[in-house]
Amino acid sequence: MSLRRTRRMSTLSFGVAAAVLAGCSSGTTASDERSSSSPAGDGHTAIVTITSDKCVADRASYDAGGITFKVSNKDATGITEFELLDGERILGEKENLPPGFAGSFSLNLNPGRYEMYCPGATTPRAPFTVTGTASSAPATDTKALLNQGTKNYGTYVEAQIGFLVTNVQPLVAAIKNGDLAAAKAAYAKARPYYERIEPVAESFQDLDPAIDARADDGLAPTKLTGFHRIEYGLWSVGGVAGLAPVADKLAADVGKLQKLATGLHYQPAELANGAVGLLDEVSKSKVTGEEERYSHIDLLDFQANVEGSEQAFANLQPGLAKIDSTLTGTISARFAALNLLLDKYRDKNQPSGFVLYTSLTRADVTTLAQSVQAVAEPLSRVASKVVNV
Amino acid sequence: MTEGTSTSGPSRRRFLGVALGAAGVAAAGSTGFGVARATEPGVPAALGPVPFYGEHQAGIATPAQDRLAFAAFDITTTDAQAVQTVLGSWAAAASRMTAGEAIGPTETAPQAPPVDTGEAFDLGPAGLTVTVGFGPSFFDDRFGLAGKRPAALADLPALPGDALDPARSNGDLCVQACANDPQVAFHVIRNFARIGRGTVVMRWSQLGFGRTSSTSTAQQTPRNLMGFKDGTNNVKAEDAAELDQFVWVAGETDQPWMKGGSYLVTRRIRMLIESWDADYLADQETIFGRRKDTGAPLTGRSEFDLVDLSAKTPDGSLVIDADAHIRLAAPSSHGGQRILRRGYSYTDGTDPQTGQLDAGLFFIAFQKDPRVQFVPIQRMLGQRDLLNEYIKHVGTGLFAVPPGLGKAGDWYGKSLFT
Repeated sequence: MSLRRTRRMSTLSFGVAAAVLAGCSSGTTASDERSSSSPAGDGHTAIVTITSDKCVADRASYDAGGITFKVSNKDATGITEFELLDGERILGEKENLPPGFAGSFSLNLNPGRYEMYCPGATTPRAPFTVTGTASSAPATDTKALLNQGTKNYGTYVEAQIGFLVTNVQPLVAAIKNGDLAAAKAAYAKARPYYERIEPVAESFQDLDPAIDARADDGLAPTKLTGFHRIEYGLWSVGGVAGLAPVADKLAADVGKLQKLATGLHYQPAELANGAVGLLDEVSKSKVTGEEERYSHIDLLDFQANVEGSEQAFANLQPGLAKIDSTLTGTISARFAALNLLLDKYRDKNQPSGFVLYTSLTRADVTTLAQSVQAVAEPLSRVASKVVNV
Repeated sequence: MTEGTSTSGPSRRRFLGVALGAAGVAAAGSTGFGVARATEPGVPAALGPVPFYGEHQAGIATPAQDRLAFAAFDITTTDAQAVQTVLGSWAAAASRMTAGEAIGPTETAPQAPPVDTGEAFDLGPAGLTVTVGFGPSFFDDRFGLAGKRPAALADLPALPGDALDPARSNGDLCVQACANDPQVAFHVIRNFARIGRGTVVMRWSQLGFGRTSSTSTAQQTPRNLMGFKDGTNNVKAEDAAELDQFVWVAGETDQPWMKGGSYLVTRRIRMLIESWDADYLADQETIFGRRKDTGAPLTGRSEFDLVDLSAKTPDGSLVIDADAHIRLAAPSSHGGQRILRRGYSYTDGTDPQTGQLDAGLFFIAFQKDPRVQFVPIQRMLGQRDLLNEYIKHVGTGLFAVPPGLGKAGDWYGKSLFT
């Protein structure tokens, strides 16, 4: 998945009620259906009931300020989430609410007209009105947080490409010096910088194949350019013969990448899609041992893809947490579990810092693949939440 | 009943007695082959919906469909809340898929992955049933459910003839999806795995391509991959008394949450097809105790004729061999105990080691208490069944299948957690 190929996004800004929000508590519980509270209710607690027809709140209007949404799904088998919208912007939401389950989240809302959204209901949207006085101390805006995240991500990408350019130089030198051992070490050192930002490189059509094509991309290993031609020479042929021009071209190509990627601006949804794209890369070629089929340092690439994905997510996290703190919590926890699992395979005696792919058992590979999928599934839901902010 | 009970197993060819045994019923007429599938007149609703909510889960006593997709899952979290959310989401999704509906809205945000994976759009309910169960390991110390484990869910003991592969056995949870369209059945397993991602992982799965049992008097008895009608005398949906006696858990249980449920045993039974195909007809018929063409017992003329286990030939030997499959599987050999069989033929390509077909029977049985039903029955079969020369039990599973769900808002095992 490339950043460029993702849907072009227009940033929608609605002049409606400059809503400020702060994600507070958030939780889900299994519960029996709750009936709506008394008609008077509490102006700062919205009791929302989801049915197959619609979502219903317990009051006609609520008081500006902190409002806790207590949402329960009575019997809507096709609805599992509830969102509060300001125009098309998701202010807050609760997922994983099958019938018989309830959850809550809190928002800080200014007076205005909002909408409750239950995708899948017969009448999916219903008005939600907030009256009273605007909060005097506006919290940090979700949009500002996300924009800052995309800027930070741009800085991260530029830094990684900088390191890539720097670390390809010793590889070129070692090849030209005929030093096989040094070349192998330099190869392993340079790889992760590329793997962390691969979706950015993939946006430039010819560069990714030039730098990173593999023999399964339809080419004989000797016809390749880039990293894997060098890998083939160093590990499979066992020498540096003929690799000098390949190394020079690789250095030129990563230089090109640096020029193209400097100063790029990213959209929040691009970060989200790129993060998923990196995990797809892991599932497709790292978990299978295809990426580094001669050197078997696949776990190094694996970890670099995961790190790049987590960096993209982490830059969205402060803004996304305002919208759905349960989701950010889930994704963070699953990244943490994946990193913990990867740590088990670290081996300081290997130049790559990880055990070789060939020493993994089938059970190891299965567990690694499943742990990647466990992150990718919730991560795949992020883009739609940040696209209209 | 003692003759031929050699512990070393039956011989490759049983020369003695076979010819005579077969000759004893040689006069039985042949009506030829030809079993209708999925288009039987007795199953008019084959493509319609099967009610999802009810006293019992569908997929047990409802008419057996033609296709199976089965999966066992392991839970990877210790968060009981996450497990409940998955079970609740599965229940909601199953209620919709069995009605032929997508599991969620089909028009969603362009930047979000579709809620339903989509391959069953426009295929209708196809008679789909979804049946969920809990394995013994579900009741370990992870979720505080150790005290809820039914006594009848005792681990299956080692049984004679077991050649079990742990990677194809057991699991914390199981899902049996049966339908008259293979894609509708597969759709369930795929979406359940997706819903559960991060909380459960698939441990093993099995596709079945043809039912081998009839669970309704309206259905014909299908043939297994050995070409025989097996399970003619199955427990049938129409016989409520038998279901109550042998299948549905009732007041006798030590765990009230299981009332209305049942216990599911699966066995992946690999058939050594190439060897079987080289066996001569009379031996094949002796092994099963039935005629291959009509399905009639060797003591009768048509399929549903009486199985006379004591019938003798003029020379005094048993017509139905002492170790024939039909005899050892008969209720009268087990104090009258019966099980509801609901198995499927399977093939998973070829055995990479030998190049032989990897095919056989994915045996599924439901019962009130495996300790007094499946276990003693299989113990006897495993020791003596003539068929053992041509089969291997390579996978096993035991699951407590909770009762049916009452309505939306109920989910699998809800009463376990509350």
